[in-house]
Amino acid sequence: MTRRILTIFFLLFLAVAPAAGTEKEQPLPKDLPPYGELKPFRAPQVTTQKLANGLTLWLVPRPGFPKVSYTLAVRGGMSADPQDRPGLADLLTATINQGTATRTAKQIAEELQAAGGDLSASAGSESIMLGTSVLTSKAAVGLALLADIARNATFPDSEVELGKRNAADRLRQQESNPFFLASRALAKALFGQHPYAVTSLTQDSIAKTTPQELRSEYARHFRPDQAILVVVGDFGPAEISGSAESLLGNWAAPSTPPVPAVEKPSSVPPHAIFLVERPDSVQTTLALGSLGPTESNPDYAATRVANALFGGMFGSRLTLNIREDKGYTYTPGSYVVSRRTAGIFQTWAAVRNEVTGATLNEIDYELNRMATTSPSEEELVHAQRYLVGNQAIDLQAQESVGRSLARLWILGLPPEELGRESERIGKVTIQDVDAAASRYFPAARQAIVAVGVEKVIKDQLAPFELEVKPAP
Amino acid sequence: MKRWRLTVILACLPGLVGSAHATGGWKVPAVAKKFPNGLVVVVSEDHSAPTFGLCISYAIGFRLEPEGRTGFAHLFEHMMFEGTPVAPKGTFDRVIESGGGSNNADTRYDFTEYVDTAPVSALDPVLWLEADRLNTLDFSPNHLENQRKVVEEEVRVNVLNAPYGLFYAIDLPGKAFDRFPNAHNFYGDFKDLDAAKIPDVEAFFKHYYAPNNAVMAIAGDVTPTEVFAKVEKYFGGIAPRQVPPKPDLTEPPQTAERRFTEQDTLARVPALAIGYRMPPRHSHDAVVGALVGELLHNGQASLLYQALVKDKKVAIEVNGGVNFVFGNPFEYDGPTLLTSFIIYPPNLKEDDVLSAYDAVLSGFAAQGPSPAALERISAKMQSDWYANMEVPIDRASLLSHATLLDGNPERVNEIPDELARVTPDEVRAFAGKYLAKTHRTIINRVPAPASGRNDRGEKGAR
Repeated sequence: MTRRILTIFFLLFLAVAPAAGTEKEQPLPKDLPPYGELKPFRAPQVTTQKLANGLTLWLVPRPGFPKVSYTLAVRGGMSADPQDRPGLADLLTATINQGTATRTAKQIAEELQAAGGDLSASAGSESIMLGTSVLTSKAAVGLALLADIARNATFPDSEVELGKRNAADRLRQQESNPFFLASRALAKALFGQHPYAVTSLTQDSIAKTTPQELRSEYARHFRPDQAILVVVGDFGPAEISGSAESLLGNWAAPSTPPVPAVEKPSSVPPHAIFLVERPDSVQTTLALGSLGPTESNPDYAATRVANALFGGMFGSRLTLNIREDKGYTYTPGSYVVSRRTAGIFQTWAAVRNEVTGATLNEIDYELNRMATTSPSEEELVHAQRYLVGNQAIDLQAQESVGRSLARLWILGLPPEELGRESERIGKVTIQDVDAAASRYFPAARQAIVAVGVEKVIKDQLAPFELEVKPAP
Repeated sequence: MKRWRLTVILACLPGLVGSAHATGGWKVPAVAKKFPNGLVVVVSEDHSAPTFGLCISYAIGFRLEPEGRTGFAHLFEHMMFEGTPVAPKGTFDRVIESGGGSNNADTRYDFTEYVDTAPVSALDPVLWLEADRLNTLDFSPNHLENQRKVVEEEVRVNVLNAPYGLFYAIDLPGKAFDRFPNAHNFYGDFKDLDAAKIPDVEAFFKHYYAPNNAVMAIAGDVTPTEVFAKVEKYFGGIAPRQVPPKPDLTEPPQTAERRFTEQDTLARVPALAIGYRMPPRHSHDAVVGALVGELLHNGQASLLYQALVKDKKVAIEVNGGVNFVFGNPFEYDGPTLLTSFIIYPPNLKEDDVLSAYDAVLSGFAAQGPSPAALERISAKMQSDWYANMEVPIDRASLLSHATLLDGNPERVNEIPDELARVTPDEVRAFAGKYLAKTHRTIINRVPAPASGRNDRGEKGAR
């Protein structure tokens, strides 16, 4: 029954491999109506432009919904932080809207609010992104404010002082969150001394950062030849392109060298258990990770398909096993993330203390099952259709299109990749999944982080016969 | 009460009602139809992408779960994914994911919503599956046991193992209200979750999961005619059921400020939650209240952020609003709070924060907001409201809630205009009347000395 529906109402561009499945799923209800004919998705149509000063402009006009979403991204981010100031880019984004040459922090906030917007500012590993979504009727105001922040931020001494105090307390607060602790420890376990290991501030770095350092890091990052502006929504392209030219066209690129690209990590992460002691935890937060393919790697699409059926969707093997069968956890999941020179494959589960060892055992089992056996045809198609359909659904929101495009540019990829990704996923075969899974999924490749109470979980981890050490 | 409103207001609508593209801002189309079995269906046609979003909301939430069964409405929500006699556990997820989509559900005080989104090619099987689980469930004790464990892990991850443990959403209403429906722990005490048995699931299903207790909205690449025909086909055979009358939920009046201190073994930075009782939902004051909540809390331009974080430097973060964390300020139908959740520096005292907070509120009650401030917040709320209707799954959700709670899908198009008409005088009057100290409850949540911990976080680089 499954086979019939999937074969007849197949996505047209999915390659149907006749291979017999190894896992038989239950037949579908006999009266369940079949899927209808799949209508083609239209990938967002992007007009690209480059200003004389090197600023990249990607425009996606979509009339109808009466808002405009701006995303302004620059290369750099936390991997480019000075060695003795880890996480500085995070402090920079927290203070970037606290004053420009002509506006106070309060004016910026109020003018944005009047346009229907907020500023989002975030530092990633290799980018800093500023964004706002405003009403179409206030589109010009929104862009003027964003341009002002990108060009003329002043980092006033008093604002930086307050920003530092709040960053210090916020870090203390973050350190009580097990997911923050696990994610910080995992990045260090995976990348060691490599710049990708930096994912957050430290108290030392906050204490030592001066307003002058923020200003010079801002000048180093925010330059038109290392920046992109993505505009998505209800606007006239000529109008926005004209506004961008007048607001950003005379932004001069400095002659100093831009933030250097990040080297490819050379070391292999250790297969060991890193413990983060968190007193009074009633769950162990488990995070496993290993290096995976980058987005430009030919393996990438197959790895995403393998990830979807391992732990990336609700009907995944991991969720069906440790949630729907055993009830160990509420939100297990696995993720494939690409940075410019390295990919990361991660598996997460937060479980009650007493099933820590049992859960790790099941995760290992599912990882090795992926790495050593083939998925069925049904599973493959399930994962492919899930990924293709959900990408189209995600790209309905302006902000999501803006961020996805900015991310592609940061990775050095063209806007057409948005559509190609789905095409590539549709062409993945069982053999491709097997190859990717055997490369990236073996349990023995994973670094393991456990955040919880050591004396409660130590004995449960002993049978894995791995080195257990404090998180780096 | 709810069903009464639904019946009466929708009775005024003919079978098909086109949306008014009247004056003012952007409107979404909304066409409603009530079926003979009582199911109300709303369609918002939008062909910008070949997808749909669906939300079916049942008029049953935390408030009506029985005493001794705290957390049950939510546990029951999980059981709706555990299969039926003809579509066993896992079928729904597999069909919607293989159809390129995803599903989810949420339990709130006054409704439980089930949401689906997918390429429109999956509409028929998804409707069939929604109808199938409204018809009957697979009342399996094994599945209940499994989901009880899953829900307990959900409570651990969001409450028991999380700094602050949602105290501003669970403990605050618990202290601010006096009657079980409004005051109990909606996530559930483990002893109550453990006590839940299959007869509870059967009774809850029979009482509340009736077509005449639900509103389904579908937005996206569909037409009303096509959707109504499919609904007739798949849901038409489901009979209406007797739904218990909604009990009186009103609270005895609050006459004095209530203050509490709680110890938090996980948090390292103290926080305050302040809750004011709000006016009844179906009043103009409730619209003013929604706006006041945003004036105080929406973003860095908000009055509390500017005063507490920037000017007085007594807070690190300020969040809040009416119906805070349970959805937008219009998605409730019983006693609710305007909540402020404030994280403050460890070297300060509760009263440092509170005196700065009170200065903002008393100034507000005395002078009201400036016309410019009012204009700003109404633009921001219009923009935020539109954002709630951008993609089909969110639009379906908003339409479904508005129809269930107000009996009128057009409400989603009216709210921005109503907000824009609120005057400074109305805000001042509201603040004087509802933001009085005698109407509020405060919980100060402070880091506790943890068992076996030697690092309380001061300069604690790790």
